[in-house]
Amino acid sequence: MKRAVLSLFLIGVLAFAVVASGCVSKEETTPTTSEQPTETETTPAKLIWVSSQLNPPEERAFVEEVILPLFKKETGIDVEFVPMSHDQILTRLKAEVESGKVTIDLVTEGEVAMRELAEAGLLMNLDGMPALTGRTFIPKFVEYGKMNGNQKFLPFLSGTYIMIINKKAFDYLPDGLTKEDVIKGTDKWTYDAFLAWAKKLKEETGSPKVGFPAGVKGLFVRFLHGFMYPAFTGSQVKNFDSPEAVQMWEYLKELWPYVHPASTTWDAIGEPMLREEVWIGWDHIARFKDALFEKPDQFVVVPVPAGPKGRGFIAGFVGVGIPKGAPHSEAAWKLVDFLTRPDIQVKFVERGFLPAVKEASEALPEGPAKILATGVTNQLTTPDALNVLIPGLGEKGGEFKDVYRESFKRIVLENEDMNKVLKEEAERLRALFKEAGWSGELP
Amino acid sequence: MKWKSFLPYFLILPALAYLVFFIAYPLTQSFILIFKESDIQVLKVLTDHNFLMALKYTLALAVAIIPIQVALALILAVIMNKAFKGRDLALYALIIPLIISDVAGGLIWYSILAPYGFLNKVLINIGILDSPIYFFGYQFRNMEFLAIVLAELWRLTAPVFVMILAGLQMISKDYIEAAEVFGATYWIKLRQIIFPLLKPTLQTVLLIRTIWSMQIFGIVWVLAGRDIPVLAGEAYYQMTELKNYGVASIYVLVIATLSILLGALYLKFLKAEYLEVKT
Repeated sequence: MKRAVLSLFLIGVLAFAVVASGCVSKEETTPTTSEQPTETETTPAKLIWVSSQLNPPEERAFVEEVILPLFKKETGIDVEFVPMSHDQILTRLKAEVESGKVTIDLVTEGEVAMRELAEAGLLMNLDGMPALTGRTFIPKFVEYGKMNGNQKFLPFLSGTYIMIINKKAFDYLPDGLTKEDVIKGTDKWTYDAFLAWAKKLKEETGSPKVGFPAGVKGLFVRFLHGFMYPAFTGSQVKNFDSPEAVQMWEYLKELWPYVHPASTTWDAIGEPMLREEVWIGWDHIARFKDALFEKPDQFVVVPVPAGPKGRGFIAGFVGVGIPKGAPHSEAAWKLVDFLTRPDIQVKFVERGFLPAVKEASEALPEGPAKILATGVTNQLTTPDALNVLIPGLGEKGGEFKDVYRESFKRIVLENEDMNKVLKEEAERLRALFKEAGWSGELP
Repeated sequence: MKWKSFLPYFLILPALAYLVFFIAYPLTQSFILIFKESDIQVLKVLTDHNFLMALKYTLALAVAIIPIQVALALILAVIMNKAFKGRDLALYALIIPLIISDVAGGLIWYSILAPYGFLNKVLINIGILDSPIYFFGYQFRNMEFLAIVLAELWRLTAPVFVMILAGLQMISKDYIEAAEVFGATYWIKLRQIIFPLLKPTLQTVLLIRTIWSMQIFGIVWVLAGRDIPVLAGEAYYQMTELKNYGVASIYVLVIATLSILLGALYLKFLKAEYLEVKT
């Protein structure tokens, strides 16, 4: 028995020794890697570019097989493109920056996600970097990438949400609205006209023909705070429970019977549009781009309708930044320079992305990319355009969306008392802006 | 002598270490998380509309699925416990869902029941339907519930069936042969011998299956999103979307408490009977 106990004890000691040696050697290696600043300035073996954008296989292939080889040819630098979700990027960067052992050289994410990284102090200041010449960034986006006056990230690609229409729907236009009005976004293309159109479509075709991506991962919530609210109340948050907002919710309740009931399960509008389950849809351009490229003759991209306060819409972008303490920040900056150069941006435009620099949008090829870009330009240039950006609330961004999502569910789907819901949700909304440390006027 | 008295403790040490690191430590951590955020009112969370709905649906799904599932698995196991031609093939076919994850299972059922999925296409093509039946969407929550029940019945009947079949095969043939000597019919054998002897297995099956049902998540998330809220789904939503780590912890602890309570109830009311003891 004694022997058995002794051997168990020995096994225990051995196991402890193995674990302990692991810990010790880890501690020893940490300082050596961080003590190698010389490596940063020489040509790196490989740059690590993590991204929550360009993740679908064909987009990823485009980056890896078209864009990165060009960069390698010009600079001799290898780049590894690593698709990740925003949560993964945030967790990994946090851990890397805190431990002082950063491996990521470049990050690209949606503007709100980039803002969250910047607010968490994970991005380096780009002000000291060499100037990027020969390109004009969209000023509003550059401004959004600044924190306390420091440039934390730059726009890389722009993106927006827009309406997509199956040409068949034009046969059912309501009185007083023409195809031209819709395409150009004239003052006749209003939410009231949209309602009349949706109604006529349902009555004459027998089923609702308007759809929204209102599933769990769908972006319908952006339509609520970034399109409906500005169009009806003039702002996204400020007038959340105002009489104008009540008017807006009443409008939505009136519209909803003409919206396809499966909308609450759709995460993107592309598929239902391709199946012709619905003829009028709304989504982020990145999410229905594939449908448009598959059947470019069938669809038209048009500006969203206007409300009493104007044509509210969100114009967003994909940002590019360099993590604080990135091992090869100079080489990473070369990649930023490369990616935002007009001739490279044009390559992205051909794939259905929208450029972040003005020079690239001037040289547009014919085809679906042009349909998309024309629609976007029309939306941006309507005289009543009310362009808003998603407020950067960091960790509170999820709860911000939840306020609008819950309000919609309670008011439109569950038919709760509107004033009660708006009062309760407004309190939550204001509290979360306060918690997020929002300074200045509410958006 | 002294060593001898320590030995049992030494031997349970690995199991204990496992329990401490993987169960006790995370549980304590989630408990701490709740109180770390000082402004969280546990009572408020527990009486919140979303929480009550999630609790309601989690329990409703368990009540709707488990009895049918266990009955179905029992029937299948009794059938499969006999030798017949093609039994092996049938057995393999029955346990196929075992290897499919909940998310994949959800996606399979989604593609069957979707408005333009297999089922609707078939029904429309043979002229039974003019327009598709909608199983998904907030307005069709009852149908979503049905879809989840169907998918769970399909997916989890296999493991329940395997456990019951194993239990059946453990029953000694001697009892059955003895009964046959006394001229017992098939039903009498089933009622008087097989079921009583199967009770310990059924207890385990119900216990495991109920604990699983408290954790139901992937399949609901895929098929109904948050239209049908369940406890684990809400915990995930609170954690990843709202970043309310404390609230998510409350949900998780509620799941743990429910599992323990239900487990205790089963152990109390489904005491295993052994024929030898009963006499």
